Amino acid sequence: MKKLLSIAILTAGAFSANAEISFSGFASINAGKVLSGTGVPQFGLEPTFLADYPLVSAYTEEFSFKPETLIGLQAYADLSNGLSATAQIVARGTNDFDATFEWAYVSYEINDNWTVQAGKKRLPLFYYSDFFDVGYAYPWMRAPADNYTWQIFNYNGINAQYTDNWGDWSITGEIYGGREDSEDNKLLSTFFFSEPTKEIWKDIVGGVFLATYDWLELRATHMRYTNERFRSGEQVLWDGSPERDGKFYGLAANVDMGDWFVLSERNRLTLQETDLDSLMLTLGVRLDAVTLFTSYSELEEDILDGENHNTTSVGGRWDFHPSAAFKLQWDKVKDKSFDLAVAGDSKSVTVGIDLIF
Amino acid sequence: MGCSISFFSTAVVVIVVHPSNDAALDAKDVQRLFLGKEKKFSNGKEAIPINQIPSSTVRSAFDADALGRSSTQIAAYWSKLVFTGKGIPPKELDDDSAVLAVVADNPNAIGYIDSASASDAVKVISLN
Repeated sequence: MKKLLSIAILTAGAFSANAEISFSGFASINAGKVLSGTGVPQFGLEPTFLADYPLVSAYTEEFSFKPETLIGLQAYADLSNGLSATAQIVARGTNDFDATFEWAYVSYEINDNWTVQAGKKRLPLFYYSDFFDVGYAYPWMRAPADNYTWQIFNYNGINAQYTDNWGDWSITGEIYGGREDSEDNKLLSTFFFSEPTKEIWKDIVGGVFLATYDWLELRATHMRYTNERFRSGEQVLWDGSPERDGKFYGLAANVDMGDWFVLSERNRLTLQETDLDSLMLTLGVRLDAVTLFTSYSELEEDILDGENHNTTSVGGRWDFHPSAAFKLQWDKVKDKSFDLAVAGDSKSVTVGIDLIF
Repeated sequence: MGCSISFFSTAVVVIVVHPSNDAALDAKDVQRLFLGKEKKFSNGKEAIPINQIPSSTVRSAFDADALGRSSTQIAAYWSKLVFTGKGIPPKELDDDSAVLAVVADNPNAIGYIDSASASDAVKVISLN
């Protein structure tokens, strides 16, 4: 926190002449436990519900607040004439509340349609990637985990964003490029390999296209990158090569009629020759301040006994305050793989409050 | 949502702009300006939308009638944009008189008030 404070003061000092700095934030106070589960006996894992992969938010049979509780603080400095700087610091229970800069970028509005940004941002693979941490922005406790299994979720680089209205449609486009070096990658180091693993995604190039028409939202995305990995300092070889290429394709369609909504997503990651397909479908109804939903998500790797798991969820959200929501969710996970089992079958309950400020 | 609209429609919301503002404004333009999907008036001049605080009744009526969503859904919409560097929500003022004061003074401002509060210092545009 000391670091955060000194940077805030530095920023304020440097730009105080003509910058307006505003702070905003979000928080989720979540808790839960596994009601019953198989764990993964062949790997010695106790009954576990992996609520999200990249951050390794893992619930066990012991009731805990730690896996998904988080608080984020954003500082936005408007430097006028289209230039701004934004930093987002997030402290997560799953990382013992170590506050780290997860976003830090400068933005420049070239004109009404184009904005360029440079710095550290979230990798916009999935519809929910960008606001993954902001529970208040979506109905569930979390974006369905099977859809979000990748170990890299931020990148350092540049992007250009386009916004316009085409007739009755609002259009947003984004192209981006960069890389991410994840020293001691959490998902790989603590969950999959149990040894320090450095994960590199380089030559990342991607694009997102989003079209919104009143009640309908359509999104398409593509991204490619080159992967390198070091386990305990030793370079991993894939078919004798130190590099492998990944290509990501994603489609999302959302219908929101006010009283009811449908959220859907279909994604494919092609890693070398292997496809990893994921999908998510959520149906929800709104009854005044209460939203009820049911959701199904799955991930399937196209090899014999490949990674293969799905989650069925039911839950509710109650907007009891203009900037706070109470949520309750039940999840049933089926883990079908033996060699590439992740956390086994489980049934879990989680409960929480999401805030924005 | 049907019942919340009829409940709040006791407050008749009107759009207010500076008297010199000659831009054409229909329901779609208002929606886009207040959702950050459009930054300029139809006459090409920069638009500065002025919101009211979430606890005001005129805000609830505006969100339901003009934006077609509950205030909570609008808050969720902005939280997506704010924390992903894609938009900044309109400034919020306390009440009709604060909105009137800003709009009467700023040719680029656009706000909304209860029709009962309207004055000659601003140009009033009916939402319907």
